[in-house]
Amino acid sequence: MPSRSATAGPFNRSWGAYAFLAPALLILFLSLLLPAIATIGMSFTDISFLRPTNWVGLDNYFRLMADGRFQQAIGNTMYYTLGVTFPTMALGLLAAVALNRKFPFRIVFRTIFYLPVLTSLIAAAVVWVYLYEPYSGPVNGLFVSLGLGPQPWLSSPNLAMTALIIMAVWRDFGTAMIIYLAGLQDIPEEIYEAARLDGASKFSILWRITVPMLGSVTFYLMIILIVQSFQVFGAIYVMTGGGPLGSTETIVFQMYQTAFGYTEFGYSAAMSTVLFFVILLFSLVGTKIMRRGEG
Amino acid sequence: MAELELSGVSKTYGAFNALKDVSLEIGDGEFAVFVGPSGCGKSTLLRLIAGLDPVSEGQIAIGGKDVTSRQAGQRPIAMVFQNYALYPHMSVYDNIAFPLQMERRPKDEIRAEVAKAAQIVQLSTRLQDKPSKLSGGQRQRVAIARAIVRKPGIFLMDEPLSNLDAALRMEMRSELTQLHRRLGSTMVYVTHDQLEAMTMADRIVVLNGGKVEQVGPPMELYHNPANLFVAGFIGSPPMNFLAGTVRSAEGATVSVEAARIGVVTLPFSGEHLYAGDSVTLGIRPEALELGAGRQVQFSVVPEAVERLGLHTIVHAGEEGRPFTALFNGDPKLRAGEAINVSVDGASVKVFDADGILRSRRAEV
Repeated sequence: MPSRSATAGPFNRSWGAYAFLAPALLILFLSLLLPAIATIGMSFTDISFLRPTNWVGLDNYFRLMADGRFQQAIGNTMYYTLGVTFPTMALGLLAAVALNRKFPFRIVFRTIFYLPVLTSLIAAAVVWVYLYEPYSGPVNGLFVSLGLGPQPWLSSPNLAMTALIIMAVWRDFGTAMIIYLAGLQDIPEEIYEAARLDGASKFSILWRITVPMLGSVTFYLMIILIVQSFQVFGAIYVMTGGGPLGSTETIVFQMYQTAFGYTEFGYSAAMSTVLFFVILLFSLVGTKIMRRGEG
Repeated sequence: MAELELSGVSKTYGAFNALKDVSLEIGDGEFAVFVGPSGCGKSTLLRLIAGLDPVSEGQIAIGGKDVTSRQAGQRPIAMVFQNYALYPHMSVYDNIAFPLQMERRPKDEIRAEVAKAAQIVQLSTRLQDKPSKLSGGQRQRVAIARAIVRKPGIFLMDEPLSNLDAALRMEMRSELTQLHRRLGSTMVYVTHDQLEAMTMADRIVVLNGGKVEQVGPPMELYHNPANLFVAGFIGSPPMNFLAGTVRSAEGATVSVEAARIGVVTLPFSGEHLYAGDSVTLGIRPEALELGAGRQVQFSVVPEAVERLGLHTIVHAGEEGRPFTALFNGDPKLRAGEAINVSVDGASVKVFDADGILRSRRAEV
């Protein structure tokens, strides 16, 4: 009967589509969703693999709220995130605007600026440990030659996080530059020409035309950088080990230490769950604002 | 208001000559239209006048002052672009106010100027909207208002109506003509559409291959095209061309034998023409009449008949060469049935082997 086949058609087609999607969905479930669910489940236990596991309900979360060390990690993470995100975006924008013009060797410059992104994080971190070396490192060499005193970059609680931020900005601004370059190439040349005819100076064109027109790119980049900075681990592991005096201990680094140093996997899973929801919140808010902007 | 003078202006891109030695004077308050096919250099010329690209050779003077080396923003001009070039993140108000804000004018003055310009282009109620909320015609009006507030000596317009549909284009054509009358400014308008050029221009500049082919009022170009290119470009449907040979050129007449029409005697003195010369005869489709009422008579076989109500267009090409006739009204014609047509000898244009008009100039 025609009516029956009409209702059966879309249903069958849906199942066909799900069948084709199944392998990808299975991989996504096993690699992303299952570990996430398992982590959330673990956060309600005192699992440590060294003693019998008990269900502890929300105890881990109550403990987190009162944990001064965790609060310090939150503060460190916020400081690092702000310190990395905005300078990276500003430098990336300036580099993109400069390299969007036609001049000889601009491809070479783009490549040079993007190279740190391609470098292995661990290798780069090792090199930066050498650069920051207090006695023979080039950074202090430069400071001394400028008449400034040598600084204990990675061994001072006041300077270590800043040193990590500088290294992260160096490494990430190439990404910002590439994303901004793509955004700049979407701005029609005629708009710049109209602004030139309207008597706008180069600074006015940058401030009144380019920056606002890159608004959605800037927002996208900001969300990416914030989420990425929240999850910083490798550079801290290699360069400071969270020290001195916990001054570079971020949430993810503390999660690692709590899980693998103190074998408190349940407590670490609670930290991980909190971080997961904070990042999720940022992503959702960011996506919503971007969609509103596009609309 | 200002006059524009171009002296020996050339533009090269590497080995390519986009403009070759263009010299031109456009009077104060004149509406000049640059017209020509794609790639003829008309937009390039406009960009040189605007200062968006540097000239390779020559000088540009506006209002008697050499502006060749001045930056775009320092020339007394404003430009309207084909794609509007509005600032999408700014409101209509800010778009119009932008040039004045760049001049750091007082806010009250800016508000008054924007209100005046918005009133001229009938957008007073849309000042707070973003350009994305406006139709194509309204966007182009914003671009025009942005040009108006600068009070430029010269308005430059680069195919401003190309992105609009046919009905809106017609409306905007008339609005721009009225605007020109109202402001009394010098306007330089670029288009590839000869209809726009004919309907709006005080003077048309026909460009081809980077060179000026002819400059003159629309009717002068229509009745006395300087050469084959202008003859074929100005007028719609385009002029018909028939290859021919001069039989004799004596006294006050020239006798030409041409394909389709045989030997015809045309009423003008054949200066520069000699027996045996190859020539091209040009006949406007609208100069043809049905029947044998005029001096030059021949027959054609329509391959297609287009009835437009007011006019009927007959296509009667032969051996790959187009031939078009345009008759008033709706005569009963059918494709495939031969018809007799005729034309006044005085309406037939004669171009020599180099494509230069050699027949008598018509009174315009």
